[in-house]
Amino acid sequence: MLQKIIKPVSFLLVFSFLLLDLSVHAAKAQMIDTSTVLAAQRTETDRARVAAFLGREDVRKVMVQQGVDAAEAQKRVASLSDAELAKISKTMDQLPAGGDGIGAIVGAAVFIFVVLLITDLLGLTHVFSFVNHHR
Amino acid sequence: MFFPLSTTTAKRQANSRFLQAGNRMIAGLLFLALPLFLSGCALFPAERLPLAPGRPDKAMAAGVPFFAQEELQCGPAALAMALNWSGVAVQPADLTPEVFTPGLKGSLQSALLGAARRHGRVGYPIAGSEPLLAEVAAGHPVIVLLNLGFSWYPKWHYGVVIGYDQEQGEVILHSGLTASEHLSYRVFLNTWQRSECWGLLVLPPDRLPATAEEEPWLAAVAGLERTGQWKGAAAGYGAALKRWPESFGAWMGIGNSRYQLHDLAASAEAFRRATLLQPKNGIPFNNLAQVLNEQGKRKEALASAQRAVELGGPLLANFRQTLEEIKAKPAHKNVRKHKKHPSRRTAN
Repeated sequence: MLQKIIKPVSFLLVFSFLLLDLSVHAAKAQMIDTSTVLAAQRTETDRARVAAFLGREDVRKVMVQQGVDAAEAQKRVASLSDAELAKISKTMDQLPAGGDGIGAIVGAAVFIFVVLLITDLLGLTHVFSFVNHHR
Repeated sequence: MFFPLSTTTAKRQANSRFLQAGNRMIAGLLFLALPLFLSGCALFPAERLPLAPGRPDKAMAAGVPFFAQEELQCGPAALAMALNWSGVAVQPADLTPEVFTPGLKGSLQSALLGAARRHGRVGYPIAGSEPLLAEVAAGHPVIVLLNLGFSWYPKWHYGVVIGYDQEQGEVILHSGLTASEHLSYRVFLNTWQRSECWGLLVLPPDRLPATAEEEPWLAAVAGLERTGQWKGAAAGYGAALKRWPESFGAWMGIGNSRYQLHDLAASAEAFRRATLLQPKNGIPFNNLAQVLNEQGKRKEALASAQRAVELGGPLLANFRQTLEEIKAKPAHKNVRKHKKHPSRRTAN
């Protein structure tokens, strides 16, 4: 009984795997679709924004106070994934743009965000779930 | 499905005094409540509608039919009103299987968005009073998600805002069993902000929202692409290019749509424009290479694929694949033969 069905079943299996392989092949050779194009653009913008944020004078000051190497923090940003960058960028959206002249409370919020972000990036803390640790 | 909406004046005054005290308290907690403040809705709604220069005092979107909802069916009813306005003849009952989730006794926002796409319309979410009034003034009805109850006892409800009246301080909407209901702006905003002021435009792809921004519009049109509505997608990208002629994303999108519609020459032209806008980006070179190859322009196709590989980036593996395929299979007729072969065997 088993011997009888084993042949057609195995043929079917082999064949379905063949189809599977072909479809993957075809998908890979397709054109890059527009959603992917838009996502790639967004990532580029996010990366530039986060890098620019870490390059800001007041943010640098915080880093120096905390004894953090600014160049190292920038390197960590470069190694973040797209989704992580998007989340950081989104969190940054909720911070006031200027960072100075708005008030002490706002300044403190930026300060805490920067310290936690940087220490997270350096692997000292783990507050933001979106920061990956490469160690 | 209505929960008591109107309160007496005395209650309102007591309320506002209470809110003022709350205001002071929250100012102290500003720091913790930062995201709340910046979420786009006013925390304490004003009595009057926000004014904007050039916006009429009174506006009404024309041609929005009313469908009275059946029990729990506010989602399909609201979507049917918006779709019919946009030129799709459809009844709420036809939309129920597409948007209603029986287990939740309601319709999800994402389901409305998806159903709009399936009918060839662009779903464009908005948030806040400013865009809402601007869209209504432009003649666009807006589906809004309201919570008629409290945050801790929610009664979620979809309605369609079709007008406003600055002088009366009223918002006019088709909602539930009432056509053209006049709701005070204060009550409307109270119930609306519990959904973080979520609104949805359902538009024909060639019609840009009054408050359109480039990236969200392109993302909304790319949703049509995912459901295979290439003509609609092409129209949406075309509308984007009229407003933003230098939009890289729109040129890429129109190139992809034209390719799917078998207009290879126009597709190649669009990808060429995209390569000029972002000469350091490999993606347009990759897509251009595929089109050129199918046009039988092998030499140009190889050069373009080579350029994509040189530029690299996160999609380098795809670019390499393209280059190899063009090297291996020069003319597109051969490619078709290869692909057809196995399917013919399945039929036997």
